[in-house]
Amino acid sequence: MMDPSGINNFEDQWKRALQEASETPPQSVWEGIETHLDQHDNGRIIPLWWKSAKIWYAAASVAALLLAGGIWYKNAGTNHENASVQIAANQKAEKALTHENLATNETEKAGKGNASAPVIANNGVSQSKSEIAEVNKKADTKQNTTENVTGTLGNTGSLASKRSNSQGEQYAGKNSSNKNAPEPKPVALSELPSEKIAAVKEVAAVIAVTETPEKSISAERLTGLPYSDLDVHLQKRYVFFRPEVKSVTKEEETVKKKEYWAGLSLMPASFNPDVKLKEAPMAFAAQSLSNKKSVTGSSEAGASYAVQTQGGVRISKHWSMEFGLSYLKGNSSYLGGGYVLSAYNSQKSNVLESAVSPAYGNKNADFINNGALYIDVDKKVSNNYQYLQLPVQAGFTLNPEGKLSYSLLGGLMANFFLSNELESASGDIIKTTAVDQVYRDMNWAATTGLRFNYRLSSKWKASLTGSYQKAVSSGFRSNQSLDSHPYLYGVSWGVRYSF
Amino acid sequence: MTFNEQELVKGCRQRNRIAQKQLYDVFGGKLFAICLRYTKNRADAEDVLQDAFIKIYENIDSFRSDSPLEYWLRSVVVNTALNHLRQQKYWKDLDDIEMHHNGIADKEITLGNFQMQQLLELIHELPPGCQTIFNLYAIEGYQHNEIAQKLGISEGTSKSQYARARGILQQKLNKEKRFDDGSVRNKQF
Repeated sequence: MMDPSGINNFEDQWKRALQEASETPPQSVWEGIETHLDQHDNGRIIPLWWKSAKIWYAAASVAALLLAGGIWYKNAGTNHENASVQIAANQKAEKALTHENLATNETEKAGKGNASAPVIANNGVSQSKSEIAEVNKKADTKQNTTENVTGTLGNTGSLASKRSNSQGEQYAGKNSSNKNAPEPKPVALSELPSEKIAAVKEVAAVIAVTETPEKSISAERLTGLPYSDLDVHLQKRYVFFRPEVKSVTKEEETVKKKEYWAGLSLMPASFNPDVKLKEAPMAFAAQSLSNKKSVTGSSEAGASYAVQTQGGVRISKHWSMEFGLSYLKGNSSYLGGGYVLSAYNSQKSNVLESAVSPAYGNKNADFINNGALYIDVDKKVSNNYQYLQLPVQAGFTLNPEGKLSYSLLGGLMANFFLSNELESASGDIIKTTAVDQVYRDMNWAATTGLRFNYRLSSKWKASLTGSYQKAVSSGFRSNQSLDSHPYLYGVSWGVRYSF
Repeated sequence: MTFNEQELVKGCRQRNRIAQKQLYDVFGGKLFAICLRYTKNRADAEDVLQDAFIKIYENIDSFRSDSPLEYWLRSVVVNTALNHLRQQKYWKDLDDIEMHHNGIADKEITLGNFQMQQLLELIHELPPGCQTIFNLYAIEGYQHNEIAQKLGISEGTSKSQYARARGILQQKLNKEKRFDDGSVRNKQF
């Protein structure tokens, strides 16, 4: 800013020579200033409450509403109406100016012809201002202030009063003559506090609009709102560290480990009892051919099914144990071995029938030394089983939390024998049950499988399980000439519900 | 003329015309001299002075009494003058020029024998950009970085233009002194 040092001789000399220089400006300068001030005062009523911040907020709100309304109005396609209102307002303003010009001319004429013209003019101004009560008050205040200032500033009473009178006359004359003056030209105010000036203009514009509602709303008056940077409020974020998260997770996992489920499924299967004769039955042992042929027969798998129920528990994330109760209807057939025909009573018996005959009174004796004939024919006879199964399996599940999971199953299965229906050579059905002591009441089978689990919901899953079961012990009692190691292939479809 | 500055400001804030005229009478001469320094002719100076006083009256409420009133008035006038000159783009194309020393020692220059009109005439003869920068630096006491900021030019440009103005003025002062033999030239400005 101002350099107080004065060290530099060149600058110091120029500063001393010109800084306090003075040149009286011509009278026309003050006249121009006064003209502008008169127009400003007459054209706009500067409120005394302009310092109130609420006014600025109200003005900004009104401006925003007017702007929004203007945009809406414009969008509504009423531009033509706006234009007509503008023209009407202009015409009205021109008319008003014309009237004022006429009044001013009259006042000037009166001033020329009368020595007390300033007083009359002053009265005229007062009368015109008396239309607005507030302005009247302002005029009174202005007069009082004038007297005060004059009294304070004037060193000599006569000089002060002279100055006051002359200025009063000038003021009065200007007041009366300024009405026909042109509109104040815009002044560039960029060097001074521009926000303040812009805000003053804005409020004046809003007041002008309020006072003359018939005037059209000019968008230009609404665009100069002062702006200021808004305060930046930073959001503080607090991060809480919880070192016990792992233990919490473990607890949740532990809880999940204890997941139980129950399931129901139906398994179409291929069941093969794999029945073999260890030795020829007595009826077939008499002849060398029948003795040899009787042991050459074999079982063929038939269409079977199992209805399965399961219950399981999840013991870890991947491992589980499951138990079940199933009913297996294993259909099969036996092919080969021929049959023997009694020439005495025309009875006949196939190999399996003869093999199990001891359990039913041993009819084999009828074919011994009784002219029995051996018929070497590969006849297929049905041989259907019913079992009650109790599987115990361990499962290892991959992707246990996923929508689709895979489980590898392995375990043992206890097959409890229910019945066997064997077709005899004559076509009758020989039904053997557990109480007949032919079949073992229970034999063990190994089981393995692969299961696909598809999670339908948080509780329900659908499963598709491929199973293979193979008996590890014979299905016949050890005193029988028959041996059987049934095996089964099956695909089960089921659903299960988790608890 | 003695005056009470606070009462004067108070009257102007109340839009009292007597107080406004009083302010004009008290400070108009000095402020007009400033306008004459920044402009090229009297008519432009009058326009600047009128605009400046209108600003002063309209913005008197922004004046803070903790600083002298005259400083505030001078700053308004200077800014108005700069704004006036800015519209004429006097310093828009100012470039750095090579700074040179004209070999004239500062102590040889004395302005005591020159009237204000003579000095103003010398200033008016400066190129427009030089004139503005000379006024801001030598008379108003602004620093080059402040001038650069005000005028939107580089600090180097301000320095070089000032050196140019200083050289020109020194030459002209020597010339005037030689021909006039120290006599005061009464030329109506």
